[in-house]
Amino acid sequence: MTNSADRMTGAFFLLFGLAMVFLVIPEYVEDVDRGSLSPKTMPTIIAWVLAFCGGLLVVKPTNHKAPDARFFIRATIYVAVLGASIYAMSLVGFIYVAPVLALIVMLMIGERRPVWLGFGVVLMPAAIWFLVTQLLERGLPG
Amino acid sequence: MVDFATILAGFGDVFTPINLFFVIFGVLLGQFVGAVPGIGPVMAMAIAIPFTFGLDPLPAIAFLVGVNKGGLVGGAVPAVLMNTPGTPDAAATAMDGYPLAQQGKPLKATKMALFSSVTGDTFSDIVLITVAAPLAILALKMGPVEVVALMIFAFSIISGLMGESLTKGVIAAALGLMFSFIGTDPEHFTPRLIFGFWDLFDGLALPSVAIGMLAISEILRRMSEGRGGGGAGLTVPDTGNPEDRRVSWAEYWACRYTLMRGASIGTILGALPGIGSTAAAFMSYAMTKGASKDPDSFGKGNLHGIAATESANSAVVGANLIPLLTLGIPGSVTAALIISAFMIHGMQPGPLLFQNQGRLVYGLFGAMIMANFMNLFIGQALLRFWVKVISAPEAVIFSAALLLCFVGVSMATNGLFGVTVMLIFAVFGVLMHSFGYSVVIFIIAFFLGPQFEKSLAQAIALLNGNILNIYTSPVAVALLVLSVVSIFWFLSKRTNEVADTTNLGVPDGETLDQKDP
Repeated sequence: MTNSADRMTGAFFLLFGLAMVFLVIPEYVEDVDRGSLSPKTMPTIIAWVLAFCGGLLVVKPTNHKAPDARFFIRATIYVAVLGASIYAMSLVGFIYVAPVLALIVMLMIGERRPVWLGFGVVLMPAAIWFLVTQLLERGLPG
Repeated sequence: MVDFATILAGFGDVFTPINLFFVIFGVLLGQFVGAVPGIGPVMAMAIAIPFTFGLDPLPAIAFLVGVNKGGLVGGAVPAVLMNTPGTPDAAATAMDGYPLAQQGKPLKATKMALFSSVTGDTFSDIVLITVAAPLAILALKMGPVEVVALMIFAFSIISGLMGESLTKGVIAAALGLMFSFIGTDPEHFTPRLIFGFWDLFDGLALPSVAIGMLAISEILRRMSEGRGGGGAGLTVPDTGNPEDRRVSWAEYWACRYTLMRGASIGTILGALPGIGSTAAAFMSYAMTKGASKDPDSFGKGNLHGIAATESANSAVVGANLIPLLTLGIPGSVTAALIISAFMIHGMQPGPLLFQNQGRLVYGLFGAMIMANFMNLFIGQALLRFWVKVISAPEAVIFSAALLLCFVGVSMATNGLFGVTVMLIFAVFGVLMHSFGYSVVIFIIAFFLGPQFEKSLAQAIALLNGNILNIYTSPVAVALLVLSVVSIFWFLSKRTNEVADTTNLGVPDGETLDQKDP
């Protein structure tokens, strides 16, 4: 993936920049006649810069080596867990989700020692609850 | 600009119990997170910022500065004992620290790192305190035209020096700017790129973006690399000789030129946006080795090697605040985090800060000096404890950090929308890091974006709508010429050896092996 990674991301930024210029900015940025700098000016300039640099990267990639597919699969699973926990927090609140999230994450990382699992599942969420709701007098997420 | 009474009052503020407590707490936390491989002061600062909401500005910022300074000291501990730097800054320290530890002198190595760190840090703080106010007076003479030119110059330097290629640096900066445009535009206040999400009307919240990209993405990356799990017990070799457990005055004094060289390099590089503490450490190490009468002893446990790297990387911390406080431009990720803390507490960093909040600025300077002393005392007292801390399991640390990020961002943004944005930017951070784009450039550009656009609008108005009238400002012209020259210079000569690795956009596997000078 040495050169192909850069070519791939370069192509992405080329397309992203062009899509911003021709599709997104005209649709989602209001045009204003007065003033010295239109709301569209800077996003359009930056989108062209992105497209140009993306194109440049396609033509002249660096030797950067991207991580292997396993890394991205693992990252996707972790992101899915975190995303699901945010959704769960919106339903039942932080106080119920936090211990479960901590347990899942620790098990996924490979922690199996009961003492440390107990520390992460019980003590840490309890400490956070105490810090936020009792000391700082703020609300927990959810 | 600031009268003497204000300066004294500012320094005096540090000695209130609450401020002293937060300086000490910050240094303690910093040394702790620095000693744990995988967290580091940047992540700790990012997580801690939302929790400082309820504090007054001085203890909040003094706390963050303490975390940063303590982190640099703590980062040397795993570098010396495990050859695994707790922070990238400490990578060069491992080159002589680890061999010393293997010879049964781990405490001598960590204490030399501590003394060198405090020496370099104090030197750069004194430089900061001396030059910041005069520079701010100069900066006040700049108008929007000069500010725009200065920002373009800063972008060109940062994009060229950070990350692995100028093209990727420009892309990272452009992306940061693009995301900063989300929300109301600064001149007409019309909604822009919000895609129907009215939560985005005020733009993307800085805590969501910063914590997502700096903390969560780093945790995700490390978890995905499968480095976690239980901490392996660490055996620390010890000769039993008391001389090998301390640094004598003679040994410290013998390193005075090395320390001064390192502190000077760190201060100069730290004052320039884009060059970080890792570059300073390696440059100082290389220069010390080059100047040594016994260069072959480097890499085998030479105290000068530790003195060179630790004095240089710590000297960057104070100097980093020079562009931040005088121009409002963060030159590094830690400066960007401190600037966001300033803004959370209602302060606009820049030259006017001295005029409007002089007492607070000098309170901050006092807190920095105090943090150095605390670093010394706490480091001396707890070095043996930090040696134990490096065996703590990453699984617990990461899960706790994740929960703290969720809570912190939720508090900062008043709800789960900000937490969702944080997760999106965490994914973005992982992808950027994986494909070699600097997250730090992104964050700095994201932070500077609104100010850049606002100054540009003002500059165009001042130039009567014709940007070619810029010739009326020689300073702006000079800065733009410098920007063009620097871009051509970076294109013609990539300075890989001084590219900053303190950022999270560092390519995978870039360790001291590749950085060996």
